[in-house]
Amino acid sequence: MQEVALKGFGEVVKTVTLRIRRYDPESGEPPKYVEYKVPVQMGMTVLDGILYVKEHLDHTVSARYSCRMGICGSCGMIINGRERLACQTQILELGKDLVKIDPMGNYGTVKDLVPDLTKLFRNHESVKPYVIRDEEEPKGEYLQTPEQRESYAMFTDCIMCGLCLSACPTNATDELYLGPQALAQAFRYISDNRDLGLNERLNVLDSKHGVWRCHFSGACSDVCPKGVDPALGIQLLRQLLTSNVFVKFEQKGAPKGPDRKSVTGVS
Amino acid sequence: MKESQIMLIQYLTGVLILVLGALHFLAISALAPTKDKVLYHYGTTGVHNLTNGTLYYYNVKKIYTSLAWGSVFELLLTFLVFHIFNGFRIILSEQFPGGRSEKIITYAMLIAALVVFVWGTRTIVLMLYGGGV
Repeated sequence: MQEVALKGFGEVVKTVTLRIRRYDPESGEPPKYVEYKVPVQMGMTVLDGILYVKEHLDHTVSARYSCRMGICGSCGMIINGRERLACQTQILELGKDLVKIDPMGNYGTVKDLVPDLTKLFRNHESVKPYVIRDEEEPKGEYLQTPEQRESYAMFTDCIMCGLCLSACPTNATDELYLGPQALAQAFRYISDNRDLGLNERLNVLDSKHGVWRCHFSGACSDVCPKGVDPALGIQLLRQLLTSNVFVKFEQKGAPKGPDRKSVTGVS
Repeated sequence: MKESQIMLIQYLTGVLILVLGALHFLAISALAPTKDKVLYHYGTTGVHNLTNGTLYYYNVKKIYTSLAWGSVFELLLTFLVFHIFNGFRIILSEQFPGGRSEKIITYAMLIAALVVFVWGTRTIVLMLYGGGV
């Protein structure tokens, strides 16, 4: 293949082989690896490489992506054996002439590098990832100090890319396990002082496939592209549930601020 | 029973096994009688030098005749049986998740635990009151 410099992107530094796992469940054929030679420039990401393949070499290669800047969490895949966001991983930083790309593990495959994230979203939904209050409709804002927000701030950075669930060894065998993403989000909401939903989440968290099945391998925290530490969240959840056996944990709920109407004039 | 309660017992029994296991080790080594060397004969010199005679069946058996030690061993057996079979239940449930398979696993482990517990208790009781197994 002739090396082609993309105009405006600088010069081609070298040619790298992308070995992409191809699989179409609807075709009935087994998965296979196909290699593509890609001219690499400075700053070129693995996602750029895949898009180059799609544009110039084989437009049937499928991958999911959106923002291209590590925010949407769509382009999670296994690159050279490690879970990463393709848009955050520069090819030259890998330091290899061969880049092996697989779809995320512990999920089904829709096609090629597109995983079926149903399990991720189902687990996420099961822990009720929102602030639960006892009022029908909030009349005003719930007050929270910066320190109270700090107690769970890290866990709000989750972009639901699903890399943690792909790396989790428990998920490899126990498909009913809630997984690090959902558990970390459960902790995020339970430790939010505005929340009153611990008891509503207990059935799921304290189940046979809940928080206790974590083996604390730490793979989830290791691969998280946003620096979230789901393993820590799970351990803190365990601490909370263990102490809950002796003394029932009570969520007091944040105090209410002034009524919205008295501040804004709008009800 | 909630999983958190089961796991709390799992962790506690783990710690207690360490404590009672250490006691058990003491019982059959440092605390065991060493003067009764009825089984010490030609050919076991090496073993004798290594254990000072404490591991001879006759000497080990002597510890079991004490009610206090018998109780310690019974407790150790109880903790071990819970810890081991609950551990198995967890591992197998992760390997074969699902309502039906987990039910089978739970009952299978419960039965196995009961059998081991009864057999172990029988051994301890026979040692205490029957003079051996």
